[in-house]
Amino acid sequence: MRDDYLWDKSGEPDPDVERLERTLGRLRAEREPSFDAAPAVVAMPAARRRRPAMWIAGWAAAAVLVIIVGAGVRRWLSPAATGPAWSVARLEGRAPAVDRLHAGQWLETGGGDRARVSVSTVGEMELEPGTRIRLLRTAPGEQRFSLAYGTVHAVIWAPPGLFRVDTPSATATDLGCTYTLTVDRSGAGLLRVTSGWVAFAHGGRESFVPAGAQCHTHAGAGPGTPFYEDAPPGLRQAVEAFDEDPTRRGTALATIAAEARVRDAPTLWHLIGRTSGAERAGMVDALAERVPAPSAAVREGALAGDRAALDRWWNELGLGDADWWRMWESRVPPRDRVP
Amino acid sequence: MDTPTLRELARPVRAADPPDELLVEAARAGDRSSWTALYRRFAGLVHGVLLAHAPRREVEDLAQDVFLRAFSYLGGLRDASAFGAWIATLARNRARDFHRSARPTVPLPDHLPADDAGDEEAVRVLALVRTLPEAYRETLVLRLVEGMTGPEIAEVTGLSPGSVRVNLHRGTRLLREKLGVEKTDA
Repeated sequence: MRDDYLWDKSGEPDPDVERLERTLGRLRAEREPSFDAAPAVVAMPAARRRRPAMWIAGWAAAAVLVIIVGAGVRRWLSPAATGPAWSVARLEGRAPAVDRLHAGQWLETGGGDRARVSVSTVGEMELEPGTRIRLLRTAPGEQRFSLAYGTVHAVIWAPPGLFRVDTPSATATDLGCTYTLTVDRSGAGLLRVTSGWVAFAHGGRESFVPAGAQCHTHAGAGPGTPFYEDAPPGLRQAVEAFDEDPTRRGTALATIAAEARVRDAPTLWHLIGRTSGAERAGMVDALAERVPAPSAAVREGALAGDRAALDRWWNELGLGDADWWRMWESRVPPRDRVP
Repeated sequence: MDTPTLRELARPVRAADPPDELLVEAARAGDRSSWTALYRRFAGLVHGVLLAHAPRREVEDLAQDVFLRAFSYLGGLRDASAFGAWIATLARNRARDFHRSARPTVPLPDHLPADDAGDEEAVRVLALVRTLPEAYRETLVLRLVEGMTGPEIAEVTGLSPGSVRVNLHRGTRLLREKLGVEKTDA
């Protein structure tokens, strides 16, 4: 018997099985990245020097986006490609008014209705009852919605940085993740990230929200300070007080500095950029107690509010290199970049 | 218990192949490299299962959909070591959903038009594989299309090696009969 070859490819090859392998192997799945698409997607800022770890991050990101999105991304990154319309499907309640959503169109769910919009190469969003969204732009390299109010649950498959949702008070930029975004009729919102990352930005103010964290946003003020959902209640209340009530800033910062765990270092890191003077020094000390600055120069730079220094400190938090986000930020149109 | 940091979880996947449960836990924590490793490890399984049940031209989109759902529902997977069996079930369910929701149109036959003569032959043989019982069908597609060995099929599907070996043996015998090929060994 030659079943050994059929079983584990050992022993004398069975000619019939070999022939079947050759014939049917043409239909095999592509499992390896096809890097011909990668350079267009992961082009790094030319002036940046990259450390080996950054190479790893860059190639990991390239592998994720190329593998997951596969052939679809090549199609929509090609110059001749046009962006896809989004399919609309009923989940509960009444059928949506349209079954395809094109750029410029609105979609609204009633009080008892739920709907899903999706594109196979991008991802999908589920709309809760009482949600109003608009597809602003669907184009090669950019998928952009506006959420006027309501709640959406997004699972995004597209390359990081290419899918964005505008709200009245901040723009959520997907960095490869699942998240829930809620906006009320005043424009205030809440972002909760389930996996991956979301960058939440508005008017030069940015928040990086990792899995397990959430971030409020307020009309006219932009994104608030992110914090982990399992953070101590006192810290959560203090962060909200810091973001919402200027008269309680001092007390709030003292509470945050006292109650923060090592895991809450990202919250402290964000607060360094949102404070000045003695308040900033307090946050620098609080962060240094949990995650020491990599050098005295970084600490001094952080005290001065230097972004490069803050990025270097961020790299010590165990959440991936800041360059990873900056790499995708370089692909964001200039009008939306944080200066 | 402290949650491992993303940096701890994000170490490059080693050639030693970490077990599925570690990759699943890391992917749940948001680690991209682990998700990539899971994708790479199970892309053939998902593709093969879909190819055994759904029109070939739909398989790429359906496979993306399966991974999308897996990514979305990963938190609900109770036994991380059963990821392979779980995603194979997702793929079978997705193929069934596809057939249930397919509009009453005349489907394009898989064998028209092929890219070249080699593809035509592949599609013709695949059509015969699809006439086999389900257990043989999937196992044969994973072995002959995706290029996995029997032990690898057992590992990713959670089937016992003995079952996989029987399925391969019987399925190949049936396929030979359908192809009119006489077994040439002694």
